[in-house]
Amino acid sequence: MEIRINGTSYPAEAGEFVLNVARRNLIPIPTLCHHDGLPEQGCCRLCLVEIGEGSRSRIVTACVYPVSEGLEVRTDTEEVAAIRRQNLALLRLRAPEAERVRQLCAYYHVPEDSRFEAMSGERCVMCGLCARACAVLGTGAISTVNRGVIKKVAPPYEEAPVSCIGCGSCAEVCPTKAIPVEQTRETREIWGRTFKMAKCSRCGEPYTTEEAARHAAGIAGLDDAGFCPDCRSRRVGEVMRGVYGR
Amino acid sequence: MRLLKEIIQEILESYPAEQRFSLPAMQDMQRRLGYVPREGLEATSARLGRPLSALYAMASFYKALSLKPKGKYVIRLCDGTACHLKGEPLLLSSLRGELGIGAGETTADGLFSLETVNCLGSCSIAPAMMIGDKYYGKVTPGSLSALIASYRKEAAG
Repeated sequence: MEIRINGTSYPAEAGEFVLNVARRNLIPIPTLCHHDGLPEQGCCRLCLVEIGEGSRSRIVTACVYPVSEGLEVRTDTEEVAAIRRQNLALLRLRAPEAERVRQLCAYYHVPEDSRFEAMSGERCVMCGLCARACAVLGTGAISTVNRGVIKKVAPPYEEAPVSCIGCGSCAEVCPTKAIPVEQTRETREIWGRTFKMAKCSRCGEPYTTEEAARHAAGIAGLDDAGFCPDCRSRRVGEVMRGVYGR
Repeated sequence: MRLLKEIIQEILESYPAEQRFSLPAMQDMQRRLGYVPREGLEATSARLGRPLSALYAMASFYKALSLKPKGKYVIRLCDGTACHLKGEPLLLSSLRGELGIGAGETTADGLFSLETVNCLGSCSIAPAMMIGDKYYGKVTPGSLSALIASYRKEAAG
């Protein structure tokens, strides 16, 4: 099928969302809570776009709006820009320390002044990607707890989580770098726990924690993954050379 | 009283071991124990194979579930518009004087818990409150004091 974005037709597959098609064709739509490897959250409200014609046009969330034949999408109308500025201004009040939010505010010309008071020292925009990543990986060590203005991301009972494997995925997917990680060659500290780093069995570089390496090996059905990502691709390359070479 | 563990086990076994029964099980714990104990969440997690974090997220989200033990008598003071205008703030401060606790807290003797709620649906008898499942209307600091005394007496037997 085809959909139209800002007046140009683009091919799209049934089951895709508007954001997927736009990103593939390099049409800029800002997001915070979107991650290619995880189910959509649809909560940061930055990917809002306008669909439909004339009086039937409306604003929808591009990351969770499914494409349909002949769909008209506009990403650059004055209304979309105004709502985007408004949402960015609110996100900046929520997480004034978040570098990414500040960059987006500058890029989209969000006015500096606000009649609301900003939260102090906050980096988290409460998108929940970290908890989602943790759940999808099968660890489920953290989740969003409480509700309303006291909602936050935390391990159960706000204690150092026993089920955490220190993989760092939560910090990795966080769009605003809100989860602190302390790392040396030997240890990684996250969520109040200290993990021993696993060393690559080939190059000796630390690449993840021992618990995370065991967890990954378990999922892959191996005794031990044992290699850092670089050495793993090198090893695959060598095997392939053996297959096709000579 | 039977062991906490046995009650939790009994509640969990009354439902099939499926994810969709985690909330009903937690509600049963709240009803029978007055709160959702940590042991309860951990047992639910083990039985349903769900991460503890997912259950803790639910238990901390719903106001109907409490993670700390509630008092024997739960006082729900209505802070809806009508009750608020009819003197709820005064009642709240006199309860603080009477019990030494604020909204969301429980007395040290475990007798009373105090909550403010958004509406009890009893605006005609504002200011209204509930103690346990009994309603009281047109409450004044004087009648409140007498009520608390009568509940204290009841508890003392």
